[in-house]
Amino acid sequence: MNISLESLRPCLDGAIPAVVATASPDGTPNVAYASQVHYVDSEHVALSFQFFSKTRENVLAHPYAQVQVIEPKSFRHFRLKVHYLRTETSGPLFEYMKAQLAGIAARSGMAKVFALRGADVYRVLDIENVDPRLLPAPAPPDALLKLRRTFAHLGACDDLTRLADRALAALAHGFGIRHALLALLDETGGALYTLASLGYSASGVGAEVALGEGLIGVAAREAIPVRINYHTGDYTYHAALYVADPASPRIPLPVLADPHSQIAVPLTHGEYLVGVLYAESEENAFFSHADEDALVVYGRHLAALIVQLAALPDDAEPALAAPAPAPSGAPLAVRYFAHDHSVFVDNDYLIKGVAGSILWTLLNEHAASGRRDFCNRELRRDPRLPLPDFGDNLETRLILLARRLAERCPQIALEKTGRGRFRLELARPLQLNAG
Amino acid sequence: MSVLLTPDQTAFLQGTLSMNVGAVGRDGWPCVCRAQGLVVARDRRSLTVLLSASRGRAVLESLDAGSAITLVASRPATHATLQLKAARAARVGVSAAHHAASARCVAAFGAELETLGYAAGLSATLAGVLPTDDLVALRFAPDIVFDQTPGPDAGRVLAHT
Repeated sequence: MNISLESLRPCLDGAIPAVVATASPDGTPNVAYASQVHYVDSEHVALSFQFFSKTRENVLAHPYAQVQVIEPKSFRHFRLKVHYLRTETSGPLFEYMKAQLAGIAARSGMAKVFALRGADVYRVLDIENVDPRLLPAPAPPDALLKLRRTFAHLGACDDLTRLADRALAALAHGFGIRHALLALLDETGGALYTLASLGYSASGVGAEVALGEGLIGVAAREAIPVRINYHTGDYTYHAALYVADPASPRIPLPVLADPHSQIAVPLTHGEYLVGVLYAESEENAFFSHADEDALVVYGRHLAALIVQLAALPDDAEPALAAPAPAPSGAPLAVRYFAHDHSVFVDNDYLIKGVAGSILWTLLNEHAASGRRDFCNRELRRDPRLPLPDFGDNLETRLILLARRLAERCPQIALEKTGRGRFRLELARPLQLNAG
Repeated sequence: MSVLLTPDQTAFLQGTLSMNVGAVGRDGWPCVCRAQGLVVARDRRSLTVLLSASRGRAVLESLDAGSAITLVASRPATHATLQLKAARAARVGVSAAHHAASARCVAAFGAELETLGYAAGLSATLAGVLPTDDLVALRFAPDIVFDQTPGPDAGRVLAHT
Protein backbone atom coordinates (compact mmCIF):
# COMPACT_ATOMS: atom_id res chain seq x y z
CA MET A 1 0.00 0.00 0.00
CA ASN A 2 1.35 3.43 -0.91
CA ILE A 3 -0.69 5.06 1.83
CA SER A 4 -0.23 3.83 5.36
CA LEU A 5 -3.26 3.03 7.46
CA GLU A 6 -1.67 4.99 10.33
CA SER A 7 -1.86 8.16 8.26
CA LEU A 8 -5.64 7.70 8.02
CA ARG A 9 -6.24 7.53 11.76
CA PRO A 10 -7.85 11.01 11.84
CA CYS A 11 -10.46 9.58 9.42
CA LEU A 12 -11.19 6.72 11.83
CA ASP A 13 -12.46 8.65 14.83
CA GLY A 14 -16.11 8.71 13.89
CA ALA A 15 -16.21 12.43 13.15
CA ILE A 16 -17.71 11.88 9.70
CA PRO A 17 -19.67 8.72 8.90
CA ALA A 18 -18.00 6.20 6.60
CA VAL A 19 -19.78 4.07 4.03
CA VAL A 20 -19.19 0.45 3.19
CA ALA A 21 -19.93 -1.14 -0.17
CA THR A 22 -20.54 -4.87 -0.37
CA ALA A 23 -21.81 -7.32 -2.95
CA SER A 24 -24.35 -10.08 -2.62
CA PRO A 25 -23.54 -13.47 -4.19
CA ASP A 26 -25.61 -12.55 -7.27
CA GLY A 27 -23.49 -9.41 -7.77
CA THR A 28 -25.97 -6.85 -6.48
CA PRO A 29 -24.17 -3.93 -4.80
CA ASN A 30 -25.12 -2.59 -1.40
CA VAL A 31 -23.95 0.61 0.26
CA ALA A 32 -24.54 1.35 3.92
CA TYR A 33 -23.28 3.75 6.53
CA ALA A 34 -20.75 2.40 8.99
CA SER A 35 -21.04 3.96 12.42
CA GLN A 36 -17.49 3.15 13.28
CA VAL A 37 -14.37 2.20 11.39
CA HIS A 38 -11.82 1.49 14.06
CA TYR A 39 -8.06 1.41 13.60
CA VAL A 40 -6.83 -1.96 14.90
CA ASP A 41 -3.24 -2.01 13.65
CA SER A 42 -1.25 -1.10 10.55
CA GLU A 43 -3.08 -3.75 8.48
CA HIS A 44 -6.52 -4.09 10.03
CA VAL A 45 -9.64 -2.11 10.74
CA ALA A 46 -12.77 -3.18 12.56
CA LEU A 47 -16.31 -2.14 11.69
CA SER A 48 -19.05 -2.06 14.27
CA PHE A 49 -21.66 -4.77 13.87
CA GLN A 50 -24.87 -3.42 15.34
CA PHE A 51 -27.68 -5.01 13.35
CA PHE A 52 -28.17 -8.06 11.18
CA SER A 53 -27.97 -5.96 8.04
CA LYS A 54 -27.53 -6.56 4.33
CA THR A 55 -23.89 -5.54 4.74
CA ARG A 56 -23.35 -8.31 7.24
CA GLU A 57 -25.26 -10.87 5.17
CA ASN A 58 -23.14 -9.93 2.16
CA VAL A 59 -19.71 -10.07 3.82
CA LEU A 60 -20.46 -13.42 5.40
CA ALA A 61 -21.18 -14.80 1.91
CA HIS A 62 -18.64 -12.75 -0.06
CA PRO A 63 -16.00 -11.31 2.28
CA TYR A 64 -14.79 -8.43 0.10
CA ALA A 65 -15.84 -4.84 0.66
CA GLN A 66 -14.82 -1.28 0.01
CA VAL A 67 -14.92 1.28 2.80
CA GLN A 68 -14.93 5.00 2.09
CA VAL A 69 -13.66 7.24 4.88
CA ILE A 70 -13.31 11.02 5.04
CA GLU A 71 -10.61 13.16 6.57
CA PRO A 72 -12.12 15.82 8.83
CA LYS A 73 -11.32 19.43 7.89
CA SER A 74 -9.92 18.66 4.40
CA PHE A 75 -12.86 16.38 3.48
CA ARG A 76 -10.48 14.27 1.39
CA HIS A 77 -12.00 10.87 0.68
CA PHE A 78 -10.10 7.58 0.93
CA ARG A 79 -11.26 4.15 -0.21
CA LEU A 80 -10.08 1.00 1.49
CA LYS A 81 -10.31 -2.42 -0.14
CA VAL A 82 -10.92 -4.76 2.76
CA HIS A 83 -11.29 -8.48 3.37
CA TYR A 84 -13.54 -9.62 6.21
CA LEU A 85 -11.74 -11.97 8.61
CA ARG A 86 -13.75 -12.51 11.80
CA THR A 87 -16.12 -11.05 14.36
CA GLU A 88 -15.09 -10.47 17.97
CA THR A 89 -17.87 -10.32 20.55
CA SER A 90 -15.80 -9.84 23.70
CA GLY A 91 -12.32 -8.80 24.73
CA PRO A 92 -10.31 -5.60 24.47
CA LEU A 93 -11.18 -4.64 20.87
CA PHE A 94 -14.88 -5.22 21.45
CA GLU A 95 -14.86 -3.26 24.72
CA TYR A 96 -12.96 -0.35 23.19
CA MET A 97 -15.34 -0.14 20.23
CA LYS A 98 -18.36 -0.45 22.49
CA ALA A 99 -17.18 2.50 24.57
CA GLN A 100 -16.23 4.58 21.55
CA LEU A 101 -19.52 3.79 19.81
CA ALA A 102 -21.34 5.30 22.77
CA GLY A 103 -19.65 8.61 21.97
CA ILE A 104 -20.23 8.37 18.23
CA ALA A 105 -23.87 7.40 18.73
CA ALA A 106 -24.50 10.35 21.00
CA ARG A 107 -22.83 12.75 18.57
CA SER A 108 -25.05 11.55 15.76
CA GLY A 109 -28.18 11.64 17.90
CA MET A 110 -28.58 7.89 17.55
CA ALA A 111 -27.71 6.76 21.05
CA LYS A 112 -30.85 4.70 21.53
CA VAL A 113 -30.38 2.57 18.43
CA PHE A 114 -26.64 1.95 18.66
CA ALA A 115 -25.61 -1.15 20.52
CA LEU A 116 -22.55 -3.14 19.58
CA ARG A 117 -23.07 -6.82 18.82
CA GLY A 118 -19.59 -7.43 17.51
CA ALA A 119 -16.39 -5.99 16.10
CA ASP A 120 -15.98 -7.14 12.49
CA VAL A 121 -12.27 -7.32 11.75
CA TYR A 122 -11.07 -6.73 8.19
CA ARG A 123 -7.64 -6.87 6.62
CA VAL A 124 -6.91 -3.74 4.57
CA LEU A 125 -5.56 -4.72 1.17
CA ASP A 126 -5.35 -1.37 -0.56
CA ILE A 127 -5.91 2.32 0.13
CA GLU A 128 -6.84 4.82 -2.57
CA ASN A 129 -6.66 8.57 -2.13
CA VAL A 130 -9.73 9.72 -4.03
CA ASP A 131 -8.67 13.38 -3.91
CA PRO A 132 -4.91 13.51 -4.55
CA ARG A 133 -5.11 17.08 -5.82
CA LEU A 134 -6.33 18.36 -2.44
CA LEU A 135 -4.10 19.43 0.41
CA PRO A 136 -4.21 17.28 3.54
CA ALA A 137 -5.74 18.67 6.71
CA PRO A 138 -3.29 20.60 8.90
CA ALA A 139 -1.31 18.26 11.11
CA PRO A 140 -2.54 18.12 14.71
CA PRO A 141 -0.20 19.31 17.49
CA ASP A 142 2.77 17.00 17.90
CA ALA A 143 1.91 14.49 20.62
CA LEU A 144 5.56 13.52 21.06
CA LEU A 145 6.41 17.10 21.87
CA LYS A 146 3.53 17.21 24.35
CA LEU A 147 4.88 14.08 25.97
CA ARG A 148 8.38 15.50 26.16
CA ARG A 149 7.05 18.64 27.87
CA THR A 150 5.10 16.47 30.29
CA PHE A 151 8.19 14.49 31.24
CA ALA A 152 10.18 17.70 31.62
CA HIS A 153 7.61 19.04 34.07
CA LEU A 154 7.34 15.76 35.93
CA GLY A 155 11.06 15.94 36.68
CA ALA A 156 12.71 13.67 39.18
CA CYS A 157 10.31 12.11 41.68
CA ASP A 158 12.03 10.35 44.54
CA ASP A 159 8.94 9.54 46.52
CA LEU A 160 5.36 8.60 45.80
CA THR A 161 3.85 11.69 47.39
CA ARG A 162 5.74 13.93 45.00
CA LEU A 163 4.88 11.68 42.09
CA ALA A 164 1.19 11.80 42.96
CA ASP A 165 1.40 15.58 43.16
CA ARG A 166 3.23 16.05 39.90
CA ALA A 167 1.94 13.32 37.63
CA LEU A 168 -1.27 15.20 36.82
CA ALA A 169 0.10 18.73 36.98
CA ALA A 170 2.64 17.71 34.35
CA LEU A 171 -0.21 16.71 32.03
CA ALA A 172 -1.63 20.20 32.27
CA HIS A 173 1.67 21.60 31.06
CA GLY A 174 2.29 19.02 28.38
CA PHE A 175 -1.17 18.31 26.98
CA GLY A 176 -3.27 21.21 28.20
CA ILE A 177 -5.36 18.71 30.17
CA ARG A 178 -7.41 20.49 32.82
CA HIS A 179 -9.28 17.59 34.40
CA ALA A 180 -7.65 14.30 35.30
CA LEU A 181 -7.31 11.74 38.04
CA LEU A 182 -4.99 8.94 39.02
CA ALA A 183 -6.64 5.77 40.34
CA LEU A 184 -4.69 2.79 41.65
CA LEU A 185 -5.74 -0.84 41.78
CA ASP A 186 -6.50 -1.98 45.32
CA GLU A 187 -5.23 -5.09 47.09
CA THR A 188 -8.19 -7.20 46.02
CA GLY A 189 -7.76 -6.38 42.35
CA GLY A 190 -11.49 -5.75 42.18
CA ALA A 191 -11.57 -1.98 42.49
CA LEU A 192 -9.51 1.17 42.04
CA TYR A 193 -9.12 4.05 44.45
CA THR A 194 -8.39 7.65 43.56
CA LEU A 195 -4.99 8.80 44.75
CA ALA A 196 -4.83 12.24 43.12
CA SER A 197 -6.93 14.49 40.93
CA LEU A 198 -6.56 17.69 38.93
CA GLY A 199 -9.01 20.46 38.20
CA TYR A 200 -12.08 19.49 40.22
CA SER A 201 -13.83 21.42 42.96
CA ALA A 202 -13.53 18.38 45.28
CA SER A 203 -10.42 16.26 45.08
CA GLY A 204 -12.27 12.95 45.32
CA VAL A 205 -9.19 11.38 46.88
CA GLY A 206 -10.21 7.94 48.15
CA ALA A 207 -13.12 7.60 45.71
CA GLU A 208 -13.41 4.06 44.41
CA VAL A 209 -14.36 2.55 41.05
CA ALA A 210 -15.30 -1.08 40.54
CA LEU A 211 -13.25 -3.00 37.99
CA GLY A 212 -15.06 -3.20 34.66
CA GLU A 213 -17.47 -0.38 35.41
CA GLY A 214 -17.43 2.92 33.58
CA LEU A 215 -14.59 4.05 31.36
CA ILE A 216 -12.00 3.79 34.12
CA GLY A 217 -13.12 0.32 35.13
CA VAL A 218 -13.19 -0.94 31.52
CA ALA A 219 -9.68 0.39 30.87
CA ALA A 220 -8.49 -1.39 34.01
CA ARG A 221 -10.25 -4.69 33.42
CA GLU A 222 -9.14 -4.96 29.80
CA ALA A 223 -5.78 -3.20 30.37
CA ILE A 224 -6.43 -1.09 27.28
CA PRO A 225 -6.64 2.62 26.61
CA VAL A 226 -10.21 3.75 25.91
CA ARG A 227 -10.93 7.08 24.29
CA ILE A 228 -14.36 8.62 23.67
CA ASN A 229 -14.27 11.68 21.49
CA TYR A 230 -17.75 13.01 21.94
CA HIS A 231 -20.19 13.64 24.72
CA THR A 232 -22.07 10.44 25.36
CA GLY A 233 -25.49 10.02 26.83
CA ASP A 234 -24.67 6.36 27.47
CA TYR A 235 -24.54 6.19 31.24
CA THR A 236 -22.51 3.01 31.04
CA TYR A 237 -19.49 5.21 30.50
CA HIS A 238 -20.18 7.94 32.99
CA ALA A 239 -17.30 7.53 35.36
CA ALA A 240 -19.15 9.28 38.17
CA LEU A 241 -21.80 6.62 38.50
CA TYR A 242 -19.58 3.73 39.38
CA VAL A 243 -18.46 2.84 42.84
CA ALA A 244 -17.02 -0.37 44.21
CA ASP A 245 -19.87 -1.03 46.61
CA PRO A 246 -22.96 1.19 46.35
CA ALA A 247 -24.22 0.08 49.79
CA SER A 248 -21.19 1.29 51.70
CA PRO A 249 -20.23 4.86 52.51
CA ARG A 250 -18.46 6.41 49.61
CA ILE A 251 -16.51 9.36 48.37
CA PRO A 252 -17.88 10.58 45.04
CA LEU A 253 -15.56 10.58 42.03
CA PRO A 254 -14.92 14.21 41.24
CA VAL A 255 -15.31 13.88 37.45
CA LEU A 256 -17.20 16.22 35.11
CA ALA A 257 -20.93 15.57 34.85
CA ASP A 258 -20.95 16.19 31.12
CA PRO A 259 -17.57 15.46 29.52
CA HIS A 260 -17.27 15.78 25.74
CA SER A 261 -14.00 13.87 25.50
CA GLN A 262 -12.69 11.19 27.81
CA ILE A 263 -9.65 8.96 27.89
CA ALA A 264 -8.64 6.24 30.33
CA VAL A 265 -5.16 4.75 30.04
CA PRO A 266 -3.99 1.73 32.03
CA LEU A 267 -0.86 2.10 34.14
CA THR A 268 0.88 -1.17 33.41
CA HIS A 269 4.30 -2.37 34.44
CA GLY A 270 5.08 -5.51 32.49
CA GLU A 271 2.00 -7.66 32.93
CA TYR A 272 1.10 -5.95 36.18
CA LEU A 273 -1.73 -3.42 36.28
CA VAL A 274 -0.97 -0.62 38.73
CA GLY A 275 -3.92 1.66 38.04
CA VAL A 276 -5.54 3.97 35.52
CA LEU A 277 -4.86 7.51 34.38
CA TYR A 278 -8.11 9.23 33.42
CA ALA A 279 -8.46 12.59 31.71
CA GLU A 280 -11.43 14.44 30.29
CA SER A 281 -12.38 17.66 28.58
CA GLU A 282 -15.40 19.80 27.93
CA GLU A 283 -14.31 20.01 24.26
CA ASN A 284 -15.23 17.46 21.59
CA ALA A 285 -12.37 15.43 20.08
CA PHE A 286 -9.87 16.81 22.57
CA PHE A 287 -7.71 13.68 22.51
CA SER A 288 -6.28 12.48 19.20
CA HIS A 289 -5.04 9.01 18.29
CA ALA A 290 -1.51 10.36 18.74
CA ASP A 291 -2.42 11.73 22.20
CA GLU A 292 -3.65 8.27 23.09
CA ASP A 293 -0.30 6.80 21.99
CA ALA A 294 1.61 9.37 24.03
CA LEU A 295 -0.54 8.91 27.12
CA VAL A 296 -0.07 5.14 26.94
CA VAL A 297 3.70 5.75 27.06
CA TYR A 298 3.21 8.16 29.96
CA GLY A 299 1.05 5.60 31.75
CA ARG A 300 3.74 2.96 31.44
CA HIS A 301 6.32 5.40 32.75
CA LEU A 302 4.14 6.31 35.75
CA ALA A 303 3.51 2.64 36.49
CA ALA A 304 7.22 1.86 36.45
CA LEU A 305 7.91 4.80 38.75
CA ILE A 306 5.18 3.78 41.17
CA VAL A 307 6.48 0.22 41.35
CA GLN A 308 10.05 1.39 41.72
CA LEU A 309 9.32 3.96 44.44
CA ALA A 310 7.06 1.61 46.37
CA ALA A 311 9.89 -0.95 46.48
CA LEU A 312 12.47 1.40 47.98
CA PRO A 313 13.48 0.39 51.52
CA ASP A 314 12.38 2.44 54.52
CA ASP A 315 14.91 4.75 56.17
CA ALA A 316 16.82 2.77 58.77
CA GLU A 317 17.25 5.38 61.49
CA PRO A 318 14.17 6.38 63.43
CA ALA A 319 13.48 10.10 63.26
CA LEU A 320 13.66 11.99 66.53
CA ALA A 321 10.26 12.66 68.03
CA ALA A 322 9.64 16.36 68.43
CA PRO A 323 8.05 17.53 71.65
CA ALA A 324 4.33 17.87 71.12
CA PRO A 325 1.92 20.03 73.04
CA ALA A 326 -0.93 17.99 74.49
CA PRO A 327 -3.98 18.33 72.28
CA SER A 328 -6.69 20.48 73.78
CA GLY A 329 -10.34 21.28 73.13
CA ALA A 330 -13.38 19.08 72.89
CA PRO A 331 -12.51 15.49 71.98
CA LEU A 332 -13.21 14.25 68.46
CA ALA A 333 -15.43 11.18 68.42
CA VAL A 334 -13.72 8.59 66.20
CA ARG A 335 -15.89 5.58 65.41
CA TYR A 336 -14.66 2.45 63.65
CA PHE A 337 -16.64 -0.34 61.99
CA ALA A 338 -14.62 -3.49 61.63
CA HIS A 339 -16.70 -5.13 58.89
CA ASP A 340 -15.51 -2.65 56.26
CA HIS A 341 -12.84 -0.84 58.28
CA SER A 342 -14.73 2.41 57.90
CA VAL A 343 -13.86 5.35 60.13
CA PHE A 344 -16.21 8.21 61.01
CA VAL A 345 -15.13 11.38 62.82
CA ASP A 346 -17.91 13.21 64.67
CA ASN A 347 -20.30 11.11 62.57
CA ASP A 348 -18.82 12.23 59.24
CA TYR A 349 -17.47 9.50 56.99
CA LEU A 350 -13.72 9.73 56.60
CA ILE A 351 -12.26 6.57 55.02
CA LYS A 352 -12.65 2.80 54.87
CA GLY A 353 -10.80 -0.29 53.76
CA VAL A 354 -7.07 -0.63 54.28
CA ALA A 355 -6.59 3.09 54.91
CA GLY A 356 -9.35 3.04 57.56
CA SER A 357 -7.77 0.06 59.23
CA ILE A 358 -4.35 1.74 59.27
CA LEU A 359 -5.77 4.88 60.86
CA TRP A 360 -7.64 2.92 63.51
CA THR A 361 -4.49 0.94 64.36
CA LEU A 362 -2.37 4.09 64.64
CA LEU A 363 -4.89 5.90 66.82
CA ASN A 364 -5.22 2.91 69.17
CA GLU A 365 -1.47 2.51 69.38
CA HIS A 366 -1.13 6.17 70.25
CA ALA A 367 -3.92 5.93 72.87
CA ALA A 368 -2.27 2.92 74.47
CA SER A 369 1.39 3.94 74.45
CA GLY A 370 1.52 7.61 73.51
CA ARG A 371 3.63 6.75 70.47
CA ARG A 372 3.52 9.18 67.61
CA ASP A 373 6.29 7.88 65.32
CA PHE A 374 5.66 4.91 63.10
CA CYS A 375 7.28 3.17 60.19
CA ASN A 376 5.93 1.23 57.23
CA ARG A 377 7.83 -1.92 58.18
CA GLU A 378 5.96 -2.37 61.45
CA LEU A 379 2.64 -1.77 59.73
CA ARG A 380 3.44 -4.48 57.19
CA ARG A 381 4.04 -6.91 60.08
CA ASP A 382 0.96 -5.86 62.04
CA PRO A 383 -1.59 -8.70 62.00
CA ARG A 384 -4.44 -6.26 62.61
CA LEU A 385 -4.03 -4.77 59.11
CA PRO A 386 -5.63 -6.48 56.09
CA LEU A 387 -2.51 -6.26 53.93
CA PRO A 388 -1.56 -8.97 51.45
CA ASP A 389 1.92 -10.48 51.57
CA PHE A 390 2.93 -8.85 48.31
CA GLY A 391 1.95 -5.69 46.46
CA ASP A 392 0.35 -4.16 49.51
CA ASN A 393 0.13 -0.56 48.20
CA LEU A 394 0.89 0.54 51.77
CA GLU A 395 2.74 3.69 50.75
CA THR A 396 -0.02 4.86 48.42
CA ARG A 397 -2.63 4.01 51.06
CA LEU A 398 -0.77 6.22 53.52
CA ILE A 399 -0.66 9.05 50.95
CA LEU A 400 -4.38 8.61 50.41
CA LEU A 401 -5.02 8.61 54.15
CA ALA A 402 -2.89 11.70 54.73
CA ARG A 403 -4.70 13.57 51.96
CA ARG A 404 -8.11 12.52 53.10
CA LEU A 405 -7.28 13.66 56.65
CA ALA A 406 -5.98 16.99 55.37
CA GLU A 407 -9.24 17.54 53.51
CA ARG A 408 -11.78 16.24 55.98
CA CYS A 409 -10.19 16.16 59.40
CA PRO A 410 -7.10 18.38 59.66
CA GLN A 411 -7.06 17.91 63.45
CA ILE A 412 -5.49 14.52 62.75
CA ALA A 413 -2.46 14.56 60.46
CA LEU A 414 0.20 12.19 59.20
CA GLU A 415 3.52 13.97 58.65
CA LYS A 416 6.26 12.26 56.69
CA THR A 417 9.50 12.06 58.66
CA GLY A 418 11.56 9.97 56.25
CA ARG A 419 11.22 7.27 53.65
CA GLY A 420 8.81 4.78 55.16
CA ARG A 421 8.46 6.83 58.34
CA PHE A 422 5.77 9.20 59.51
CA ARG A 423 4.41 10.91 62.60
CA LEU A 424 0.88 11.15 63.90
CA GLU A 425 -0.03 14.76 64.79
CA LEU A 426 -3.14 15.46 66.84
CA ALA A 427 -4.61 18.92 67.40
CA ARG A 428 -7.55 17.65 69.46
CA PRO A 429 -7.98 14.83 71.97
CA LEU A 430 -9.73 11.74 70.64
CA GLN A 431 -12.50 9.52 71.91
CA LEU A 432 -12.21 6.12 70.21
CA ASN A 433 -15.20 3.82 69.79
CA ALA A 434 -15.38 0.57 67.90
CA GLY A 435 -18.91 0.17 66.54
CA MET B 1 -41.93 -1.62 -15.08
CA SER B 2 -39.95 0.34 -12.54
CA VAL B 3 -41.01 1.53 -9.11
CA LEU B 4 -43.16 4.64 -8.89
CA LEU B 5 -41.59 6.85 -6.24
CA THR B 6 -44.04 8.42 -3.84
CA PRO B 7 -44.30 12.22 -3.63
CA ASP B 8 -42.63 12.05 -0.19
CA GLN B 9 -39.76 9.97 -1.51
CA THR B 10 -39.40 12.35 -4.45
CA ALA B 11 -39.32 15.36 -2.16
CA PHE B 12 -36.77 13.63 0.04
CA LEU B 13 -34.55 12.78 -2.93
CA GLN B 14 -34.62 16.37 -4.10
CA GLY B 15 -33.74 17.73 -0.67
CA THR B 16 -30.46 18.12 1.18
CA LEU B 17 -28.60 14.84 0.93
CA SER B 18 -25.36 12.99 1.35
CA MET B 19 -25.25 10.52 -1.54
CA ASN B 20 -23.14 7.57 -2.56
CA VAL B 21 -23.36 5.27 -5.56
CA GLY B 22 -22.22 1.66 -5.46
CA ALA B 23 -21.53 -0.97 -8.10
CA VAL B 24 -19.71 -4.27 -8.42
CA GLY B 25 -16.73 -4.71 -10.73
CA ARG B 26 -16.23 -7.63 -13.07
CA ASP B 27 -13.72 -9.01 -10.57
CA GLY B 28 -16.47 -9.13 -7.93
CA TRP B 29 -15.13 -6.20 -5.87
CA PRO B 30 -17.78 -3.78 -4.73
CA CYS B 31 -16.94 -0.11 -5.17
CA VAL B 32 -18.43 3.17 -4.06
CA CYS B 33 -18.23 6.84 -4.97
CA ARG B 34 -19.80 9.94 -3.50
CA ALA B 35 -22.49 11.34 -5.77
CA GLN B 36 -22.92 15.07 -6.09
CA GLY B 37 -26.34 15.68 -7.46
CA LEU B 38 -29.65 14.03 -8.10
CA VAL B 39 -32.60 14.79 -10.35
CA VAL B 40 -35.86 12.82 -10.20
CA ALA B 41 -37.73 12.48 -13.49
CA ARG B 42 -41.16 14.05 -13.71
CA ASP B 43 -42.83 10.65 -14.00
CA ARG B 44 -41.11 9.63 -10.70
CA ARG B 45 -39.97 6.36 -12.26
CA SER B 46 -36.32 7.21 -12.93
CA LEU B 47 -33.53 9.31 -11.49
CA THR B 48 -30.38 10.89 -12.82
CA VAL B 49 -27.48 10.81 -10.42
CA LEU B 50 -24.37 12.91 -10.95
CA LEU B 51 -20.82 12.03 -10.09
CA SER B 52 -17.30 13.05 -10.93
CA ALA B 53 -15.69 10.98 -13.69
CA SER B 54 -12.26 11.13 -12.06
CA ARG B 55 -13.45 10.35 -8.53
CA GLY B 56 -15.83 7.60 -9.64
CA ARG B 57 -13.74 5.81 -12.23
CA ALA B 58 -14.16 2.32 -10.75
CA VAL B 59 -17.90 2.74 -10.26
CA LEU B 60 -18.35 4.02 -13.80
CA GLU B 61 -16.27 1.20 -15.30
CA SER B 62 -18.29 -1.33 -13.33
CA LEU B 63 -21.57 0.17 -14.50
CA ASP B 64 -20.32 0.34 -18.09
CA ALA B 65 -19.53 -3.37 -17.76
CA GLY B 66 -23.12 -4.08 -16.78
CA SER B 67 -23.10 -3.92 -13.01
CA ALA B 68 -26.27 -3.23 -11.11
CA ILE B 69 -26.35 0.16 -9.37
CA THR B 70 -27.25 1.22 -5.88
CA LEU B 71 -27.76 4.73 -4.59
CA VAL B 72 -27.82 5.57 -0.89
CA ALA B 73 -29.13 9.01 -0.02
CA SER B 74 -29.18 10.30 3.54
CA ARG B 75 -30.31 13.53 5.14
CA PRO B 76 -27.44 14.53 7.47
CA ALA B 77 -29.66 16.33 9.96
CA THR B 78 -32.07 13.45 10.51
CA HIS B 79 -30.19 10.37 9.24
CA ALA B 80 -33.30 9.48 7.25
CA THR B 81 -31.90 7.31 4.47
CA LEU B 82 -33.18 5.63 1.33
CA GLN B 83 -31.39 3.03 -0.78
CA LEU B 84 -32.51 2.54 -4.37
CA LYS B 85 -31.28 -0.27 -6.58
CA ALA B 86 -31.60 -1.04 -10.26
CA ALA B 87 -30.28 -3.81 -12.48
CA ARG B 88 -28.55 -1.29 -14.73
CA ALA B 89 -27.79 2.36 -15.26
CA ALA B 90 -27.10 4.26 -18.46
CA ARG B 91 -24.91 7.27 -19.05
CA VAL B 92 -26.76 10.28 -20.41
CA GLY B 93 -25.53 13.65 -21.58
CA VAL B 94 -24.74 16.22 -18.92
CA SER B 95 -26.89 19.30 -19.29
CA ALA B 96 -26.64 22.79 -17.85
CA ALA B 97 -29.49 21.82 -15.55
CA HIS B 98 -27.38 18.95 -14.25
CA HIS B 99 -24.49 21.31 -13.50
CA ALA B 100 -26.87 23.61 -11.66
CA ALA B 101 -28.41 20.71 -9.75
CA SER B 102 -24.98 19.47 -8.69
CA ALA B 103 -23.85 22.89 -7.49
CA ARG B 104 -27.11 23.27 -5.57
CA CYS B 105 -26.83 19.81 -3.96
CA VAL B 106 -23.22 20.30 -2.89
CA ALA B 107 -23.93 23.76 -1.45
CA ALA B 108 -26.97 22.51 0.49
CA PHE B 109 -25.02 19.53 1.81
CA GLY B 110 -22.19 21.77 3.00
CA ALA B 111 -24.53 24.30 4.59
CA GLU B 112 -26.34 21.55 6.48
CA LEU B 113 -23.10 20.07 7.78
CA GLU B 114 -22.08 23.52 9.02
CA THR B 115 -25.32 23.82 10.99
CA LEU B 116 -24.57 20.41 12.51
CA GLY B 117 -21.32 21.65 13.98
CA TYR B 118 -18.83 20.57 11.36
CA ALA B 119 -16.09 23.03 10.52
CA ALA B 120 -17.15 26.50 9.40
CA GLY B 121 -16.30 27.09 5.77
CA LEU B 122 -17.11 23.52 4.88
CA SER B 123 -19.31 24.62 1.97
CA ALA B 124 -16.31 26.18 0.27
CA THR B 125 -14.18 23.11 1.02
CA LEU B 126 -16.82 20.82 -0.43
CA ALA B 127 -17.04 22.88 -3.61
CA GLY B 128 -13.34 22.14 -4.03
CA VAL B 129 -13.70 18.45 -3.23
CA LEU B 130 -16.73 17.97 -5.48
CA PRO B 131 -16.19 20.21 -8.53
CA THR B 132 -18.66 20.12 -11.39
CA ASP B 133 -16.09 20.18 -14.18
CA ASP B 134 -16.07 16.47 -15.00
CA LEU B 135 -19.61 15.44 -14.19
CA VAL B 136 -21.08 12.24 -15.47
CA ALA B 137 -24.84 11.67 -15.45
CA LEU B 138 -26.25 8.20 -14.83
CA ARG B 139 -29.92 7.48 -15.31
CA PHE B 140 -31.60 4.49 -13.75
CA ALA B 141 -35.11 3.31 -12.98
CA PRO B 142 -35.17 1.77 -9.48
CA ASP B 143 -36.39 -1.80 -9.14
CA ILE B 144 -36.50 -1.64 -5.38
CA VAL B 145 -36.47 1.02 -2.67
CA PHE B 146 -35.34 0.40 0.91
CA ASP B 147 -35.65 2.39 4.09
CA GLN B 148 -32.01 2.53 5.16
CA THR B 149 -32.36 4.82 8.19
CA PRO B 150 -29.93 3.48 10.80
CA GLY B 151 -31.64 1.25 13.31
CA PRO B 152 -33.17 -2.18 13.57
CA ASP B 153 -35.58 -1.48 10.69
CA ALA B 154 -32.85 -0.56 8.24
CA GLY B 155 -33.28 -2.61 5.08
CA ARG B 156 -37.08 -2.60 5.09
CA VAL B 157 -38.43 -2.73 1.53
CA LEU B 158 -40.61 0.28 0.76
CA ALA B 159 -41.41 -0.55 -2.85
CA HIS B 160 -40.36 -3.00 -5.49
CA THR B 161 -41.33 -4.01 -8.99
